[in-house]
Amino acid sequence: MRIRLALVVIAFVLTWAALPGGPRRLLAQAPAGADEIVARVQQAFYAPGKDMKARVTMTLISAGGDKRLRDLTMLRRNGTGGEQQYFIYFHQPGDVRGMTFLVLKYPRRDDDRWLFMPALNLVRRIAARDSAQSFVGSDFTYEHVSGRDLESDRHTVRGEEQRRGKACYIVESQAQAAAEYSRKVAWIDKATWLPVEELYYDVRGELFKEFTADEIREVGGHPTITKRTMKNAKTGHRTEVVFADVAYDVGIEAEIFSERYLREPPRRWIQ
Amino acid sequence: MLRRLPEWAVTWPKLTVALAIAATMVFAAWLPRMRTDTDPKNMLPVTSDVRVFNRQVEQWFGLHEDMIVVGIVRDAGLFDRAALDAVSRLTDRIVRLPGVVAADVTSVTTADNVVADAGTLSVQPLLPAVPATGQELEAFRRAVMDNPMVVDRLVSSDGRVTAIYVPLEQGANGKEVADRIRTLVGEERGDLQFYVAGDPVARDTFGSEMFRQMAIFAPMAGLLMLVALYGMFRNLALAFTIVGVAMMATLWSMGLLVAIGQPVHIMSSMMPVFLMAIATDSIHIFNEFYFRLREVADRRRAVLETIETVGAPVRYTALATAAGFGVLVIGGIVPVRVFGLFTAFGTLVIRLMSFSFIPAVMMLVREDRLRLASRRESMEAGASRSLAWLGGLSLSRPRAVVVSGAVLLAVALVGLPRIRINNNMVRWFKPASEVRVADAVINEQLGGSSLLYVVVSGTGEDALKDPAALRYVEAAQRDLNQEPVVGKTTSVVDLVKRMNRVMLDDRPEQEQIPDSREAVGQYLFLFGMAAKPATLNTLITGSAERANLWVQLKTWDAGAVEQVLARLEAYQRAHPPPGLRFAPAGIAYFNLVWNREVLRDMIRTFLAALAVVLVILAVSFRSWRWGLVSFVPLGLTILLIYGAIGYVGKDFDMPVSVLSALSLGMAVDFAIHFIRRYRQRLADDPDPTRALLWTVARPGKGIMRNALLFSLAFAVMLFSSLTPYITVGAFIIAMMMLSAVFTLFYLPALIVLFARREPTGTQAPARPGAVNPVAGHGRS
Repeated sequence: MRIRLALVVIAFVLTWAALPGGPRRLLAQAPAGADEIVARVQQAFYAPGKDMKARVTMTLISAGGDKRLRDLTMLRRNGTGGEQQYFIYFHQPGDVRGMTFLVLKYPRRDDDRWLFMPALNLVRRIAARDSAQSFVGSDFTYEHVSGRDLESDRHTVRGEEQRRGKACYIVESQAQAAAEYSRKVAWIDKATWLPVEELYYDVRGELFKEFTADEIREVGGHPTITKRTMKNAKTGHRTEVVFADVAYDVGIEAEIFSERYLREPPRRWIQ
Repeated sequence: MLRRLPEWAVTWPKLTVALAIAATMVFAAWLPRMRTDTDPKNMLPVTSDVRVFNRQVEQWFGLHEDMIVVGIVRDAGLFDRAALDAVSRLTDRIVRLPGVVAADVTSVTTADNVVADAGTLSVQPLLPAVPATGQELEAFRRAVMDNPMVVDRLVSSDGRVTAIYVPLEQGANGKEVADRIRTLVGEERGDLQFYVAGDPVARDTFGSEMFRQMAIFAPMAGLLMLVALYGMFRNLALAFTIVGVAMMATLWSMGLLVAIGQPVHIMSSMMPVFLMAIATDSIHIFNEFYFRLREVADRRRAVLETIETVGAPVRYTALATAAGFGVLVIGGIVPVRVFGLFTAFGTLVIRLMSFSFIPAVMMLVREDRLRLASRRESMEAGASRSLAWLGGLSLSRPRAVVVSGAVLLAVALVGLPRIRINNNMVRWFKPASEVRVADAVINEQLGGSSLLYVVVSGTGEDALKDPAALRYVEAAQRDLNQEPVVGKTTSVVDLVKRMNRVMLDDRPEQEQIPDSREAVGQYLFLFGMAAKPATLNTLITGSAERANLWVQLKTWDAGAVEQVLARLEAYQRAHPPPGLRFAPAGIAYFNLVWNREVLRDMIRTFLAALAVVLVILAVSFRSWRWGLVSFVPLGLTILLIYGAIGYVGKDFDMPVSVLSALSLGMAVDFAIHFIRRYRQRLADDPDPTRALLWTVARPGKGIMRNALLFSLAFAVMLFSSLTPYITVGAFIIAMMMLSAVFTLFYLPALIVLFARREPTGTQAPARPGAVNPVAGHGRS
């Protein structure tokens, strides 16, 4: 009895998982070059929709099990020619509540970043040293959050295989421009063009970071990684990220991404 | 059983030798499985409090146990394109070395630096790219000199020296990484000098050097001894026998140690030398044998009589030595216990050989050669004559002799309290050695290579975001900086002050702690957003419940750490902290604890061993008075040597403490031989004066031979490149010569004054089947 129930559930899950991906899977049948695959990943991972809002909780977990929380609202708006704007409002930790952060991202150029510090009532421009910097002290870098230029790596398809229950391309990326890694191997789900797993190797060729997409959900027609983990294989430190209340194409206004709104965050988008 | 053993050996000499060799091969068969542990850190188990706490601290702050410091010096100043190019290139190459924690290598090209540039806050490496123009170079110079977090840590205040801090992965060998860095450095051209320093370099270099030098010096000492023995006995086979016994004992105890699964630690690596020292005691057998050969026609009888005469003292010395080492087992330090136990075992093996293998060899050596060689041996010969004169002096003016001893004792007692218990591994290398020079350069020019952490803990989350707490840390830090051994201190306070300044238009007067907790929290958060997470984490935990104060010391002296901690405590007493607790950690603190625990433990067990030896002496002579008299040469030797160490100002460190154990094994032998033989002689010749003179001349010659032989063999150690070996050599020579001379000079006077009329059971012929089973009492 129980077995039959389990079979029914499995069949149901499989069917459900296969349906929305159907057309994309057809597309995937066409032979894909490495650059083409990566371009699709960039689109699916970092830029779906015209805009996006999400409540992001990041749990930073040390090797010893100590946890720290980063709770923030993230607004993203896609501009023209690959430009993107990010507005981030911090809810937690407590002493940074109300801190806001603005990132203007340009292809093939350093980001512009501004930060508002409520304790000093001060907006400061922050230089973007390199995109391999940690994002708010987590194991994710800015690049993990907002993407990396396609040309910064040399991409090669290393084959196809099942990974985490998905039919995947294996794409290897060798860093050509400055990066925290020298080599990255990614398993790209053919159906969603999202990476289900990524392994990062350092200059000595040793594994040092592992990314996993722990939950992928369809939101507003866009497959979205709603739970993800980045683990530092060397230190054992990891960061678990949950994207909640994700919404696409909600009409976030362009003027929000400005210094004025850093000081007075838009109530409408930030609960 | 032991009484029949020599007879059996003499009857079946070939079989005895064959059995001894076969048994040795069984033990030796284990040796290929030998594991070595060259890390002196392991003297304290990984479960010891200090190591557990250090690991905890490393976890809290993402630190690494070991760090190498590469010092780079350019006399004309570092602000030069080629020089900075070299620093940048070297950093890139070091990051790629195996065993190095790539992400946390810190140099001017990787260290996070907070700067304000035209209103833009920037966290970037101090030196993101090598400057192209003179203007940029000058700007870089200003940025460095203006930043208190950089000066004296990464760049010296005169701009001549910079450092690359290279943390090592768990278990990486510091010497191997240092060697690789030295190779990289060797490929650099130009006017830079490079220095590779740090605790792991010294420690692992020492560990591996120690094994290497043991492998050189033990055989060399053995060879020299062989030559000297040949000179004394003119018979190669007999000379080989003594060295052979030492080798067999070494193989037995090393084999057994490996067989039970113990690694060979630094301590036990010294076992061959110790056993060789103990094996020389067999000289007394040969010494007596040569005298006997002249008196007795039949060789078999000469051998058996020799064993019968020398057997009792040899057995007692073995017992005393074995007990002395055995007592080390009561100590708390595992490698020391292993060392004590197996050296005691080796001592017993040597004794077993003395009653089997040695008599067997004596039967196998060609008799005509032996007789020829023994002809030179007589009481009238030069050495014996001058010894007799020495004995005569002691007997004729016993009071004056004893007073001279008392004067020596007083001198020693004045020196004794001056001994400083201190360990400094860097000083185990010679002043001109690479390790020591590198350390000196970094200690003079930069904050220092020895790293102490002071963990500041508050109560609850965010405790260390409280401006009051930070101000207290700032003040304590300022106080610590007054201490001359402290080269540089760094804490989250410096970072917060820096952030405050940079946020507030980079005005130098804003280099201070802000007034609100929120501002501190937001600074730290901002820094964490912009910098490598590790940079912030090494100074404060994510919960901000704890902060880490880095204290760089200019010396590896354990005493220096003690001073710093005492100062910190005094400061806390004078200014009670606002709910903060301070706890030391890090490698410098480990060295202090190691110093305390290992050395104090050695001293404790050494004193216990002395007491045990005294009891054994008293029991063996069945008299406290005789026991005390026989203890005098040992006691006086030890006190004089340590008194001298006190006067010279040499630290009582690890090698010296190990030697204390050796002195136990050696210095007591002579007295036992002397008194035993004297009392045997009394049975034949009831006149004490004549008997004493005879003892000084005949067994005394064996004693002097033993002492000279050993001094000679260990003189080779004076040429070692490691100072502990030089210490070992000098110490052994002093010990052997002093205790031999003291035995022959003071014992006759003491016996005349204090023990002459003491009725002793052993003066009568011993009852067969010894009554005292422990001591194997009496002549057998």
